[in-house]
Amino acid sequence: MEDASMIAGWITPGREQTAAGEEGFRRLYEATSRPLWGYLQHASGRPDVADDLLQETYCKFLLSKAPAMDEAQTRSYLFRIATNLLHNRSRSRDDSALEEPPESGVQSDQDARLDVRAMMRQLKPRERELLWLAYVEGMSHAEIAAATGLGAMSIRILLYRARQKASGFLRPQRIKS
Amino acid sequence: MKQISCEHETDVIQALRTGEWTSELRLHVAQCQDCSQALRVAEALGGEARRAEIHCNPPDPYWILQRSRRMAREIAMLRMTRLLAVMRALAAIYVVAAAVWFLRGYAALQFREVASAMHGSASMFALMGAMVAAAFVVAGLWPILRQSGVTGSGR
Repeated sequence: MEDASMIAGWITPGREQTAAGEEGFRRLYEATSRPLWGYLQHASGRPDVADDLLQETYCKFLLSKAPAMDEAQTRSYLFRIATNLLHNRSRSRDDSALEEPPESGVQSDQDARLDVRAMMRQLKPRERELLWLAYVEGMSHAEIAAATGLGAMSIRILLYRARQKASGFLRPQRIKS
Repeated sequence: MKQISCEHETDVIQALRTGEWTSELRLHVAQCQDCSQALRVAEALGGEARRAEIHCNPPDPYWILQRSRRMAREIAMLRMTRLLAVMRALAAIYVVAAAVWFLRGYAALQFREVASAMHGSASMFALMGAMVAAAFVVAGLWPILRQSGVTGSGR
């Protein structure tokens, strides 16, 4: 787990030219690139798109003139850039197809994965974004609103509808002890 | 107003992320349809996220930094090019305005009278002066126009 004081020293956008800024960026990148890639991959449905947009997100972050931010704000800002890039891309191209990487592992894992992937395929991009930000990233409604550009008041109902819809595509779960 | 989701949903998601479950929260999830549904979806997505992290192979941050620096240089170049284009346009407007002003002033001098007064060496001198001035203007404009042509065709 990243030490809070180290995180506080994370990069200020536009200051990456200095050695301290570069080191800060490396730490930021290590801590956020995988979750961000997961978000991009599941929201877009394509790993290649996630690869492209991940790089673009950090480039835009580094070129931005945003003021210094703390950990939560930086994370939220990165997700906002990524979401905007996803929307721009979906407006200009057809990236709707979800790629199916080769399956591996035990049968129950495969089943669960197929279940989730089938569920994701049925959802709209906006619903995938909301569910991922809320249930994987654990963002509050205000943070989701900041990341997606939606009104904070509408997040609750949109998330509720997306959850209802998603739940309908999942098979009943085994009870865990 | 009808409440559309349980107020404990955030606590449930937080508990799932941290693994810190209280017995009350467990009991609540068992009884609350909203929370159990949220937990089910969150667990499914969480599993997918863990699998995605295994397959994720992000590029070295060095390349991101290099790319962002290259983009910064391109943006700076674009801004400078725009500034030069504005200066070129202003220069062209200035040349046209100066030419109009000169021709109007010259016409006001009653050209015929001036022309009839000039003869021999005086008219030759005036003609040579005009040709030298035109050569200077063309020589000054030529690199600018050529550069504009190159930039325009490069786009």
